Amino acid sequence: MSASRAVAKTVRQVKPILSVDGAEARKRVLNLYRAWYRQIPYIVLEYDIPKNIKQCRAKLREEFDKNKHVQDVRIIDMLVIKGQMELKETVNIWKQNGHIMDYFKETWEEKPKDFLSKFLSNTK
Amino acid sequence: MLPTVCRNVSQLGQMAKIVSASLVLKGAPRVAGTQLVRLMSEKARVETRPTVRKPEAHISVPHLSEFGAYVAECLPKYVQKVQLTSGDELEVLIAPEGVIPVLSFLKDHHTAQFVNLIDIAGVDVPSRENRFEVVYNLLSLRYNSRIRVKTYTDELTPIDSACEVFKGANWYEREIWDMFGVFFAGHPDLRRILTDYGFEGHPFRKDFPLTGYVEVRYDDEQKRVVCEPLELAQEFRKFDLSAPWEQFPNFREAAVPVPVENKDKK
Repeated sequence: MSASRAVAKTVRQVKPILSVDGAEARKRVLNLYRAWYRQIPYIVLEYDIPKNIKQCRAKLREEFDKNKHVQDVRIIDMLVIKGQMELKETVNIWKQNGHIMDYFKETWEEKPKDFLSKFLSNTK
Repeated sequence: MLPTVCRNVSQLGQMAKIVSASLVLKGAPRVAGTQLVRLMSEKARVETRPTVRKPEAHISVPHLSEFGAYVAECLPKYVQKVQLTSGDELEVLIAPEGVIPVLSFLKDHHTAQFVNLIDIAGVDVPSRENRFEVVYNLLSLRYNSRIRVKTYTDELTPIDSACEVFKGANWYEREIWDMFGVFFAGHPDLRRILTDYGFEGHPFRKDFPLTGYVEVRYDDEQKRVVCEPLELAQEFRKFDLSAPWEQFPNFREAAVPVPVENKDKK
């Protein structure tokens, strides 16, 4: 009795965004990945970017792997929704070449990691 | 529990009367009619300061509070509180499930006819459990009256889209989605409206830094606009914010002279 009450207290009933359980959320993620994967040849064709299909697919994999640790179904749903919107923006060519190339982060300067390079770049 | 309307004049002694219809619980036995409890007299001090808004001549405050109590009585399931702010602005605070019923009631009910959606606004208060407030401002041209409907949500709870009631809600909800990240379930075309493609984050959230996370510049080597993480590293500086000119010359005499040590005697 008291145990069930304690469970009821800790487990909060929340309104789902799209999926009701983890399996459904996983299915949505895979569908989104598949949609991106299939669109990449067209994206490479239509945008004037110095990348080939293979590099773009590796980047796609990397972007999905970034959120690998997420377990919450609602957060997964939210990320899927945002990814879906990004895909739409890309496929409809609302984005420009620069926006696509921003995924590759080519101009980002690597932050110094070891002691000596930190010392030389004068950062703490 | 019957809806009661109590009224008290705020401590500031201004026109701000807060009328709150008490929370009408779902399923509670209701008594027909409303009971008005007047704690203070109607008399309020006449406002003379030019910067303070005076009460509108065409608004009858008792009428408005009565209408608020009526709305609370009609929709006991959704209305949590009814209040008057700034003296004469009626606010209906509702549960997030009740967005569509309450808005369609206010739009379609014969004595309301709030057919114009003026704006939908968002408010972010990170300390609350439901950190976002969504505020619907409605206008009734028929009765020359305005009403504000407020509801609440958090980052992950979707709110029902008001698009099926008000067509004009479309872009307002996109704005809220873009700026706060509140998801509107059932919106026909929910996507970004103000930020650039590829922009990450929701800028009106209180935890979004004023400078943003990225900066955008034209790169001559890449021959395109690039987006980079923002670095605002700066040495600690002490800013001298006092103005270099004299701001209050009329008070020159009143300034207390600072005792200065005499260097000759050293």
